[in-house]
Amino acid sequence: MTMISALLLPGIARGQTAKFRIGCALPLTGVFGRDGNLVKDAYAYWADTINAKGGITIKGKNYPVELLFFDDKSDQAESAKLVERLATFEKVDLILGGFGSDSVFAASAITEKYKYPMVSGGASSNKLFERGFKYYFSTLGKATEEVRGCVEIADMLNPRPKTAAIIGSDVLFTSLAAEGYKSYLKKLNIELVYSELFPLSLDDYNSLLFKVKQKNPDMLLVGSHLVVALKVMKALKEVDFMPKMVAFSYGPTVPDFIKSLGKDAEYVIAAAEWAPNLKYKDAVFGTARQLNEAYFKKYGRYPDYVEVASIGGALTEQWAIEKLGLVPPLKEADRVRIMEELYKMDVMTVYGRIKFGPDGANVEHPPIAVQVQNGKLVTVFPKDAAEKPVWYPAKAWKERKQ
Amino acid sequence: MEGEKAVVALLLQALVTGLLMGGVYAAYSSGFSLIFGVMNIVNIFHGELIMIGAFTTYWLFTLYHVDPFLTLPVSILSASLLGYVIQRFLINRVVEAPPMMSYLCTFGIHLILANLALLAWSADFRTVTTSYSGEGFSVGPITVPLARLATFGIAIVTTFAIYWFLEKNRHGKAIRAASQDKEMARLVGIDIRKVYALTFALGAGITGMAGGLISTYFVIYPQMGLPYTITAFCVVVLGGMGYIPGALVGGLLLGIIQSLTATYLTSGLSVAITFILLFIILILKPQGIMGRGAVE
Repeated sequence: MTMISALLLPGIARGQTAKFRIGCALPLTGVFGRDGNLVKDAYAYWADTINAKGGITIKGKNYPVELLFFDDKSDQAESAKLVERLATFEKVDLILGGFGSDSVFAASAITEKYKYPMVSGGASSNKLFERGFKYYFSTLGKATEEVRGCVEIADMLNPRPKTAAIIGSDVLFTSLAAEGYKSYLKKLNIELVYSELFPLSLDDYNSLLFKVKQKNPDMLLVGSHLVVALKVMKALKEVDFMPKMVAFSYGPTVPDFIKSLGKDAEYVIAAAEWAPNLKYKDAVFGTARQLNEAYFKKYGRYPDYVEVASIGGALTEQWAIEKLGLVPPLKEADRVRIMEELYKMDVMTVYGRIKFGPDGANVEHPPIAVQVQNGKLVTVFPKDAAEKPVWYPAKAWKERKQ
Repeated sequence: MEGEKAVVALLLQALVTGLLMGGVYAAYSSGFSLIFGVMNIVNIFHGELIMIGAFTTYWLFTLYHVDPFLTLPVSILSASLLGYVIQRFLINRVVEAPPMMSYLCTFGIHLILANLALLAWSADFRTVTTSYSGEGFSVGPITVPLARLATFGIAIVTTFAIYWFLEKNRHGKAIRAASQDKEMARLVGIDIRKVYALTFALGAGITGMAGGLISTYFVIYPQMGLPYTITAFCVVVLGGMGYIPGALVGGLLLGIIQSLTATYLTSGLSVAITFILLFIILILKPQGIMGRGAVE
C-alpha cells in the first residue's frame, strides 16, 4: 500500500518540491506516426537534459519537468480534443507544439482559447500565422520559405537547370511547399513544365511519374512528408526516371529514408533548417555538433531538424519561465506573461537564432538544403555553410553501381 | 510524327501500368472474395493479413537477407496460420449469427492486430529494398517494372489455381457445397466448421503472399491495413462478390481505369473513380460486371 501511494504521489511521498507538468498531443500512430515519434524523442531529450541538472532553476530552487504525451493518431480533431483535455482536465503548466500543420492548426486554436503559449517546431504552414493569434509561435520558417534553398541551389549548379516539375500531396503543408517552389522558380526564371497535387491516399505513383518523365524536367521538386517521399523514390525507380536533380520539402532528413532506400537515396536533396555543422550553440546543449553526437548516444540515430527545432521551442519557454521567475503550478496570468516574454526574446540556441515576429513566426531562420551523399546527409546550401559541393547532375538509375 | 509517337507511347504506358497495378489489386483481393463467397463474411481485418505477409517478408529479408520471393512460402504460412486460428476460435462462433456480428468481430480483430503490430514494430515506415528493387525492362518506349510483372503473373496463376481447386478438387467441392447450401452439406457429412477454417486459411494465405509481394515496391507500416481492405472490397464488388475470377477481372479493370484517369485527367480523380465505380456497380449491377457474384 505504501508502495502504491508512493507511486501515485511521488512528490508528496518523497517530500519533493513541485514540478512543471508539461503536456503535448502528438501523432504517435497513423500517417505521421514516425514524424510524431521524433518530436516526442526531442521533447524527452530536452526534459531529461534539464532534469539531469535537477530541473528548471527558479531563484536557486530546482523544479523538475514532467512530460505528458497523448497520441492524436494523426487526426486534427483528436489533437484539438486532447489539447483541450490537457488544458482543462490535466491542468498542465505548459503545452508544447505537436507535429503536422493540420493538427497544430486545430490544437493551437484551443491553446489560444485557454491562453497557453504554444511554441511549435513541427508545423510551418503559412495559414498558422495568418489568424492573428497571440499565443502561437514557431521555430521553423514558413512552409513556402522553407523550400527556398531547394530552388536557389540552381544558381550553384552547372549546367544550370532550365526546366522543373512540381508534384506534392494535397495537404496543407505540402501544397504550400509546392506554392513556395513555384514562386522561387519564377524568381529564378526556371520554366515550370509540369505541376500536380495528388491526394495522400493515392495508391499508385507510377502513372503520375510517367507523366513527369514524359516532360523530362531538369529538376523535380516534391512537396512531401516522409511516406510520400519514400513512395516517390520507389516509383521514380520503377518508371526508370531520374531527373538531374530531385528535391523534397520533408522526408529525407528522417533517418528512415536512407535506412529504407539504401543506395537508391543517393543524390536526393531536401529542405532543412538545421544541420550539425552550423555554428549554433547555447548553454544548455552546447554546440550543434555536440547535440548531434549526444543525441546519437541516447537514441542510436542523429536528430532530424524538426527535432532540434522542437528542442529550440521548448528552450524558449524554459528561458521565459526562468527569466520571469515563475514557479509551478502556473496560472493563467503567468502564461500571459510568458507569451509577452516570448515576443521580446532574441536568443541564440543550439537550433540557431530564435526571434519571433509579430505573427509568431521565427524571423531568423536561414533555410538550408542537404543532400544524401554516400549514405549521409551533407549540407550543400547555402554556399557559406556547405560541407561539400553538391553532386550534380544525378546519375540515371541504370548507370549506378549496385 | 514525333508527337504522335509520344501520344501512343503514353497511352501504351498507361495501359501497361494499369494492367500491372490491376494485377496487384487482384493478388490481394481474391482471398477477400473467397472468404466472402464461402462464409458470407466481409473480413475487415483483410488488410492486416496483407500487413502480416509484408512484415514476414520484411523481417526475413532484413534479419536474414532472404530474397523476398523466397520468403513467400513463409508469408503464406504465417498469414494462413493466423487466419486459421482466428477463424477456428473467434469467427466460427459468429459465422451463423446476423452479419453485423461478424462485422463487429472482424473489425475488433483489425484493431487488435494493427495495434499489436504497432507495439511490436513501432510506427516506422519500411520498405524492402533489394539489389533489383525497381528494376525493369523496356519494350520500345514502354517501361515494365519486374516485381510488378511477377505479381501480375502470380495473381493470374493463383486465381486459376483456386478456381480449379474449387471446381475439380474434392476439398474444393466440399467448400463450394458448404457455400451453396449449409444444411445439405451437413447432411451429406461435410464438417462445415472444418471447411470454414480451411477456407479461411486458404484465403488468408494468398492474401499474405500478396503482402510479401507488395513489400518490395510499396511502403509498409503496422497501420497500413485498412486502405487495402477498402480497395479489396471495391475490387471484389466490381468483379462480383464471391466469384473468384471476378477479383482478377475487377482488379485489372480498376487498375486500368485508375491509370488512364491519372494519366489523362488527374491523380486525385483516380482515387475518386474507385468509389464512383463502386456506387455505379452497386446500383446497376450488384452481381458485379460479370454477373456471377453472390448477392444477398
